[in-house]
Amino acid sequence: MKIIISNQSELPIYAQIREQIKEQILNGQIPEGETLPSIRQLAKEVGVSVITTTRAYSELEAEGFIATMQGKGSVVLPTDNNLLREQYLLRIEEGLSTAIETAKVMGMPKEELKDIFDNLLET
Amino acid sequence: MRALHFTKIDYILTRKQIFMLPLLFMLALAVGIKVSEEEMALLIACSYMIFISSVFSTTVFAYCGGKNRGFLLLLPAAVKDRVAGRFLYGLSHIALLGVLCGVLMGAYRMMGFEVTGWESAAVLWELAAGIVIMTLEYLFFYLFGEGKENWQFLSNIVRVVPGMAMFFAMCHLLAGLEDSAPGTVIALDTMSVKLMQTGVIAVALSLILMAAAAVVCVKVIEKRDYA
Amino acid sequence: MELLEVKNLSKHYKGFDLKDITFSLPKGYIMGYVGANGSGKTTTLNLITGILKPGEGETYIGGLSRKEDIVAYRNKIGYVGDESFFPENFKIKHIKNIWKDFYPTFSEEKFIGFVKGWGLPENKMLKDFSRGMKVMLMFASVLSRETELLVLDEATNGLDPVMRKEILKLMQEYVMDGERSVIFSTHILSDLEQIADYIYFIHEGKTVLYDAKDELTESFLLVKGESAKIPPALKKELIGLEENAYGFEAILPSDQAALLGSAFLFEKPTIDQIVIHYIMSAGNQARTK
Repeated sequence: MKIIISNQSELPIYAQIREQIKEQILNGQIPEGETLPSIRQLAKEVGVSVITTTRAYSELEAEGFIATMQGKGSVVLPTDNNLLREQYLLRIEEGLSTAIETAKVMGMPKEELKDIFDNLLET
Repeated sequence: MRALHFTKIDYILTRKQIFMLPLLFMLALAVGIKVSEEEMALLIACSYMIFISSVFSTTVFAYCGGKNRGFLLLLPAAVKDRVAGRFLYGLSHIALLGVLCGVLMGAYRMMGFEVTGWESAAVLWELAAGIVIMTLEYLFFYLFGEGKENWQFLSNIVRVVPGMAMFFAMCHLLAGLEDSAPGTVIALDTMSVKLMQTGVIAVALSLILMAAAAVVCVKVIEKRDYA
Repeated sequence: MELLEVKNLSKHYKGFDLKDITFSLPKGYIMGYVGANGSGKTTTLNLITGILKPGEGETYIGGLSRKEDIVAYRNKIGYVGDESFFPENFKIKHIKNIWKDFYPTFSEEKFIGFVKGWGLPENKMLKDFSRGMKVMLMFASVLSRETELLVLDEATNGLDPVMRKEILKLMQEYVMDGERSVIFSTHILSDLEQIADYIYFIHEGKTVLYDAKDELTESFLLVKGESAKIPPALKKELIGLEENAYGFEAILPSDQAALLGSAFLFEKPTIDQIVIHYIMSAGNQARTK
C-alpha cells in the first residue's frame, strides 16, 4: 500500500487517504482479505493525525470497501460485491462523459465518436 | 527520604566547591596563626571557617534560582520535601563545620599551641552564632530570593557580609583582649565550665531556630504561585 | 476515555488574565495549544504540570487532580520544554542519578539507550550542549519513564527541520498504543499541524477556537481578491481582513461561502492562517474601539 499526501491538493487529507486506498483496492494492488495497517500505525507512517486516518477508514467502511473487526483490524472486502460494481460503473461513466464533453467542445459528430470508441475496444 | 534526595541534588549543583574545602581549611589554619600571633588562634581560625561555610552553604541559591529551578519544581515531591532538603544541606555544612573546628583544635594542639578551656567553649558560641547567621541567610533567600534573576549583587552581599563581619569582629575583639583587659581573660578562664555548658545550650537553641525557620519557609513557599 | 481534563482554569497576574480555560484530551490523541507569544500558553501548561497554582479551576490527569496527590500526579507527566530546564552545570550522569532517586518507573537502560542512540555527549556539561541536544536529552529523560501525558512547551522552537521531524515521530510513537496523550504549545504550527488531532487556540488569555483540527480547517475558507469588490454583506463576515494595494486576504466561516459569488479566490486555510487572521481581527477591533 502506498499513500502520498499533498498539501497543495484541494482534497482534505482524510479524503486523499480514502481515495488512494480505494484506488488501490479497485485496481487490485491491495487484494481482498488483506489487513490494512491499523489507524494509529498509518497515522504515524504518513505523519498525519489519528482523527484524520480514523475518518478515512470509517468512510471506506461506510462505502463497503473494508470491514473493521474488533481485534482483527480492517480487512479489505471482496471486490465482487455490488457496492464495488457501482464504484466501477461510476468510474466508467465519469471517463466516458469526459470524452463526450471533449467531443462536444470540438463539435465532433456522434458517429465519429462511436467509431473511436469501437476502434479503441478492438485494440 | 525525598528530602535527602533534594539534599543530594544540592550537592550535585555545588559539587565544585567541595574541592576547595581542603585548601580553605589550610588557609584557616594559617589565618589563625597570623592574625592572633599564637594567642587564641583557634577562635580566629574557627570564625574564619564559619565565614567560609556561610558563603558556601548559600551558593546553591545562586545555582538554582530563576529559570533553572524548572526541573526542581517539576519533580514529584511536596514543597516540604524540597525545602527540608535544602535545610538539611545547610545542616550538613554545619556538621562539617563542627568537625573541622574540632580538627583545627587538634591541629593547633599538635603544633604546640596552648588551647585553654574557655577557648574551646567559646568555639561552641561561635558555632551557635554561625548557625544563626546561616539560618537568617536561608530565610532571606527563601522569603525574598527564590526564583529571582539578576540580583547577584544583592545576593552576594547577603551571602558574604554577615560571616565576614563576624570574622573581623572576632579578630578585632580577640587581638586586643590580652593587652587591654587581662582581667577578662582570667575571668573567662575561671568560668570555662559554665561557658561550655551554656555553649552547648546555645548550639541546641540555634539548631531549633533553624528548624523553625525551615517550617516558616515551607509555609511561605506553599502559599506561593510557583510551588 | 479522557486522559487530561482542564476545568475552568483561571489565573490572574498584574497585566494579564488567563480566563476560563476548559477542555479535555482523550487517551491516545495529540493536542496543539496555539497562540501568539504572551497569549498564556506557558501559563496554561505550567498549571497543567502543577508547578503553578491556579486561581480558579482544576486539572485532572486520568481522573486524578494535583491537589489529591501531587507525587502521583507528577509521576504521570513527562515534560519537555524550554532549553533552560536543567541546570547548566549538570552532566548526563547527574540527571540519571536524580531520576533514579525520584522516579520509580525510571529505566536506566532505556535512558542510556536513548543517550547513545542520539549521540548525546556524556562527558560534557549541559552549558556546552546545543539547543537540539538539550531537547533530545529532555526527551530521553521522559521516554525512559512510564508516563501518561507528554507536555511540550515550545519544544521544537529554533530546531532545524530534520530535528522537528524526529520530534514529530516521537510524539506519534508516544500516542501509538492509544493509552497516552500529548499536549504541545507553539506559536508556529507548520509541520506540527499535520499530526495534531485537536487544536486549542488562545489569544490574550481567552479561548478563541477549540475543536478537532479537521473540523477547524473545514469550517473556514481563506478568501483572496480585489478589495473594491467586497460587498458590505460579505465584509461583515470576513475575519481579519488584510488589505494591500493589490488585493485582500481574509478568513470566512465556510457556512457563509454563499456570499462569495464568483469574484473571489478561495481555498482551504492552514491552522496558521486561521490563527493569524483571528489575531489580526482582534487587533482591528482594539483599534476601532
